[in-house]
Amino acid sequence: MSGELKLIEEKLSDAVKVSLNGEVDIYTSQDLKEKLYCIVEENKKDLIIDCKELNYIDSTGLGIFVATLKKAKQYDKKIVILNLKENIKKLFIITGLDKVFEIK
Amino acid sequence: MMNDNIELILPFKAEYVSTARLVASGLANRIGFDIETIEDIKVAISEVCSKIVRIGSKVADTYKIVFNISDKVLRVTFGCEDGSLKCIFDFENDQLAIDIINALMDSVEMCTENNYILSMSKELEEIV
Repeated sequence: MSGELKLIEEKLSDAVKVSLNGEVDIYTSQDLKEKLYCIVEENKKDLIIDCKELNYIDSTGLGIFVATLKKAKQYDKKIVILNLKENIKKLFIITGLDKVFEIK
Repeated sequence: MMNDNIELILPFKAEYVSTARLVASGLANRIGFDIETIEDIKVAISEVCSKIVRIGSKVADTYKIVFNISDKVLRVTFGCEDGSLKCIFDFENDQLAIDIINALMDSVEMCTENNYILSMSKELEEIV
């Protein structure tokens, strides 16, 4: 019934890449938050979030990205966001988060 | 001339917010919105549903979404038997959601004296 979200973690030499596949909404967001927090705390490396297969996100998900960025900054690390679809990039621009994250 | 109301009644459960998106997508497509606009409408509706679900209700089990579809306009109205569900968005903590809804829809009515929680609409743009 609800949209699903899959998360694939890949450890690189100087960062951790997380590929999101599916939808981030109120139903899937709590799980995403816990996983991203865990990845940041365990690795203490820059986080690369690949959104190539991310089909949907709302403010709940954007809020989690912001909270994860705050956590990463505690370790002086950053978050890079890759391959945003146009409809999702639009939300980053509307909310001003395109200036907060490094988007490629 | 088309002027139909479609009502969707959902429990206060996160897993059914995607159902609202699915229904919105089908109805917006029927009016003739393009894919990009349909995505915008889905996000705006989902923002409201998510907030309603997060607040919940002590007296009602469900909330209602009424989609009014006409030839050029989709109007979406959210309602609930629980009259305490009125001004659901907190301008301090929900700024992301408020910005998104206001940017994506043509008109948004929040915190009104009417007997619904929130109403918003999107008009089909004429292709010249």
